[in-house]
Amino acid sequence: MNTIRAEKLSKTYWFCEKEAGIGGSLKALVSGRKVYVDAVREIDLDIGLGEIVGFIGPNGSGKTTTLKMLSGILHPTAGSLEVMGHTPSRREKDFLKNITLVTGQRNRLFWDLPAREYFDFCRVTYEIPSATYRRNVDYLVGMAGIGEILDVPQRKLSAGERKRCELVAAFLHNPSVIFLDEPTNALDFINARRIRDFIRETGRENRHTVILTSHNMADIGQVCERIVVINRGRIAFDGKAVELYNAKGRKKQIRVVFDGPVSTEALGGLGTMRMMNGQEVRLEVDADRAAAVASHLFSNYPVKDIGIVDLPLEEIIESIYME
Amino acid sequence: MKDLRRYWELFLFFVKVGLMKQMAYRPHFFLMITGKVIRIALLFFFFQAIFLKVSRIGEWTWEQVLLLFATFHVVDYMMSITFGRNLSSHLPSRVQSGEMDYRMILPANLLFFASLEDVDMMDFFSFLPTLGFLGWVLWRLDMAIAPLQVILYILLIANSLVFLYAVILAIATTSFWTTQSYGLAVIFDNLMKIGRYPLDIFEGFWKVIFIYFVPLVLIAQVPAQALLGALSPGFLFFAFGVSGTALALALMFWRRGVKNYMSASS
Repeated sequence: MNTIRAEKLSKTYWFCEKEAGIGGSLKALVSGRKVYVDAVREIDLDIGLGEIVGFIGPNGSGKTTTLKMLSGILHPTAGSLEVMGHTPSRREKDFLKNITLVTGQRNRLFWDLPAREYFDFCRVTYEIPSATYRRNVDYLVGMAGIGEILDVPQRKLSAGERKRCELVAAFLHNPSVIFLDEPTNALDFINARRIRDFIRETGRENRHTVILTSHNMADIGQVCERIVVINRGRIAFDGKAVELYNAKGRKKQIRVVFDGPVSTEALGGLGTMRMMNGQEVRLEVDADRAAAVASHLFSNYPVKDIGIVDLPLEEIIESIYME
Repeated sequence: MKDLRRYWELFLFFVKVGLMKQMAYRPHFFLMITGKVIRIALLFFFFQAIFLKVSRIGEWTWEQVLLLFATFHVVDYMMSITFGRNLSSHLPSRVQSGEMDYRMILPANLLFFASLEDVDMMDFFSFLPTLGFLGWVLWRLDMAIAPLQVILYILLIANSLVFLYAVILAIATTSFWTTQSYGLAVIFDNLMKIGRYPLDIFEGFWKVIFIYFVPLVLIAQVPAQALLGALSPGFLFFAFGVSGTALALALMFWRRGVKNYMSASS
């Protein structure tokens, strides 16, 4: 059964063009020209119950706009959209009680008050029964590791602590569908890892349907089973992570460190040279030739260290963006 | 009924949060209340200075002008404690910054949040002396007031709030298209202040404008006249009709505005 189904979903924005300076502002006020931007163009999407989907794309590709249409914040310009059988833009209570959205850029908590106050606000707003509320708070607070800071005003917390408090608030009503828009944005690697663990564990344990956008490939690689790549408002790839590796013609990367100087011309014939840093070289080769190339290097060159790895996800996705 | 209880609980929550926010900055809290009380006292002395020179403004005696003045400030405070700044200032700013996003995914009426999320408890504490001032004015009026006049007075204050709510909501809703409606809000705020003076100070064209086209007369003068027993039944219906129509139109406009919400880039 599909939790999310979108057909030819599109969103066009408009804004008034304005030249620089006061003169430009006055001109825009009197005779501003409307500029239309197709942020999302006829995308089709089917996401099943309990799927954890990574939604990736460069800045301005339309991923946040899509997320906002899925969560009912924006009205689509065209196409049809259903989430759990609801039309999101109608913002029906049953629909809103079963979704949540967390963004890395904005904070929903009360700035001057402790997280506990916001949790209580969620209890009332989402009509969470007291027993469920207490159980969820205990479970989620433990998982996010925020027990010590529950009574500290938000303005006194670090960005990572605030984000963990916000995630707990967002999960308190046990939503079925979770939209996460760059949740690890601007966080250090320790906090980013904690948040990834939190999303992965709660998502899997409760069979939440999760859609996650991120520029951080660790978020996508470690959390998501399925990846959707969006570029210039259109879906450029939709499939399992492993299929994404195959999509670019199954390549491997051989990382080799030599024990002495080596002719780069000779190495170039073995594959595509991706990097050369002193005596360290990275060669991109077809997957089925990787073992043979590695063996050839061992036999014919002074090899100190060698390894065969998949292409970094960033490079595969970058090549999709470039198409 | 269950929903009504939930909204009441949410409102109490906003009151609690409003109070906690203000108390977090105590010196600011007490200074602001003092400032607001002084502002009303200065206006009172301004009127007193006028009445040292004249005995009446149009048909209004000194005590009656004080009733109008007190009624205006009761309405003004009730508005600013609840929806005033929420709609005229916070809503446009949240539309512009994209902070409406989180409000739009809450399973509760969006307009309820837009109108009442920031309960201004500082104004609530400044409101209490204003209520005391109204009581003092009623005592000074020294006239027999029938229960029906009191009921009408309260109903017309509520009607005045409905009218102001409709106008301010309509102004704030324009921010969904313009992303800023602060200029319009400031114009109306200044216009609204005319409502604390007897509209007898205006003649001809302006009097017609402020009674029928921008009916500032509804804000304080109509309730005060009802309490004084000087309001015609025809004008009573006019007052309720104008506010009801304005509210219906404002709500329709609001629904169109929400559909047009464009959020902000991340």
